[in-house]
Amino acid sequence: METVLVVDDEQGILEALADLLREEGYRVLTASHGREALERMAELRPDLVLTDWMMPVLDGPALIARIRAEPAYKDVSLMGMSAVDVSSLRHLYPGMPFLQKPFDIHALMRQVRKALDGKQG
Amino acid sequence: MSSSEQPARQDARVSTGVPGLDAVLGGGLVSSGVYIVVGEPGAGKTLFANQLCYHQGRAGARCLYVTLLAESHARMLANMRDMAFFDSALLPEGVYYVSGFRTLEEQGLPGLLELLRREVRNHNASILVLDGLVQAQEAAGSSRDFKKFIHELQVAAGLTRFTALLLTSANGPAVHPEYTMVDGILELRERTQGVRSWRELQVRKFRGSATLHGVHSFRITSDGLEVFPRLESRVQRTPPPDPGAHRLHLGVPSLDALFPEGLAAGSTSLVLGPPGAGKTLLGSSFLAEGLKQGEHCLYMGFYEPPNRLLGKVASAGIDMGGAMADGRLSFIWQPPSECILDVLADQLLSVVRRRNVKRVFVDGLSAMQQASPEPARINSFFAALTQELRCTGTTTLFGMETPRLFGPVLDVPMEVGPSAVAENLFFLRHVELEGRLRKLLSIFKMRDTHYDPTLREFVVTPQGIEVLPPFSVAVDTLLTGLARHPGAGHF
Repeated sequence: METVLVVDDEQGILEALADLLREEGYRVLTASHGREALERMAELRPDLVLTDWMMPVLDGPALIARIRAEPAYKDVSLMGMSAVDVSSLRHLYPGMPFLQKPFDIHALMRQVRKALDGKQG
Repeated sequence: MSSSEQPARQDARVSTGVPGLDAVLGGGLVSSGVYIVVGEPGAGKTLFANQLCYHQGRAGARCLYVTLLAESHARMLANMRDMAFFDSALLPEGVYYVSGFRTLEEQGLPGLLELLRREVRNHNASILVLDGLVQAQEAAGSSRDFKKFIHELQVAAGLTRFTALLLTSANGPAVHPEYTMVDGILELRERTQGVRSWRELQVRKFRGSATLHGVHSFRITSDGLEVFPRLESRVQRTPPPDPGAHRLHLGVPSLDALFPEGLAAGSTSLVLGPPGAGKTLLGSSFLAEGLKQGEHCLYMGFYEPPNRLLGKVASAGIDMGGAMADGRLSFIWQPPSECILDVLADQLLSVVRRRNVKRVFVDGLSAMQQASPEPARINSFFAALTQELRCTGTTTLFGMETPRLFGPVLDVPMEVGPSAVAENLFFLRHVELEGRLRKLLSIFKMRDTHYDPTLREFVVTPQGIEVLPPFSVAVDTLLTGLARHPGAGHF
């Protein structure tokens, strides 16, 4: 079973995403900020980290930087999501998929699948 | 002491970016202050806080917006996206949104306070918004705990030098006992009377400077919030300039001859009369005369749109189309429904000041009076409006409808609104005389000048208005609309 770590400081969104991904058959871990996400990853390495951008404690960019700096996580796929216009983020992080909030659930599932399939490829 | 060692000014102000609000606050929020913004859902609190953040962000400040149990950030941003103040380029550096709800749930007020302090520091924020203070209040174990939270936030604001806005839904009294230690309380509310509703802002408490007291109107448009300070609260206390010998006329020679010295510059006149009696023509003639003298003039009307009005007065020999086209005549046309009294005053005074207007004709004063949901305010409002106009040296003519076309009762609201403060009062009336409906004019009062008080018939021809000589036969009770010869019955 593939594992997705969802990171978002908005509790409602975090829970809704977790439920939807579980219904799709994924194992789901949750964290409400970057530092908590790193703690979860230390316990169980996910296949994909789906992270919000603006968060307290440790934000999306800092989390991405920490994951990329850790060789043990080189196989972990990364995907960002934000209420901020993500087109500028796509320029800053070429190759990394971003979801624009609010997003269509089907688009989210397609993106998640694509990210995980890309990793397998 | 070098300039870098100078202590920061304690009274530096933070501009809100809400037009009119800084004036109400005596210059803006006081830097490093903690302010509560209270109002029912939909009152405009979130919009206000965002407007302030983007305004400050545009000026280079960093703003941290922390939500508790509020709408999602995506939804909030979607709502802001169409507002003129929104700028996506400011995200996330200038304006940063985080949720503190989970921290509040898991760690209570101490955890939330720690999150606020840490995030302000991490983002080097000078503005903090906490949206949903009522959640923090409900999470507090006791009133004392909540007061302690507010106090510690205030200490942090002073030490780290950030200005905090705490948004909360009205829950009981606007000035909650727990709020006593904050630096200011702003209340936003929507009031309804019948089917009409309007928005109001009131500064319930403000430390650091005087504010404009009382209730102020505000509106929400695609530009965001705009506050219209209550005119009476900011009226100039200085006496108007002495007009000296400067006098002016209405531009109707046969009427001007009734008061040869003319109206005092800066004075206020009222033309009362029923619909169709000629108020608009008289007022337009007054403006046309000013245009001839090279003065900038302003017409403010409520019923007839500009083109229709220009056509109507042109048929009576008054040509103002050219002056409107070349900008010497300003025009404010405001359909009478859903007006806000202070918005009207702001529109009028803004044009007067910006264009150095010397003559104003307000056509349809009843519509202006109806814009106030509080009739008790009318007298003080018009006293303030005329004072402001006098201080700018503007001579003003108000046209006001009397409700009856004919009849023995004279509806002259002498103690109400402008009639109580106008120096000069003209009265127009229809009268049936010798089988013909005639227009009648009389001067009721005129301050500081001699005038002819005789009742006169006036006619409107394609060449203009003409006031006729006094009636050659004795006729009484003309002003009632039912004329009769002395000692005889009605005509």
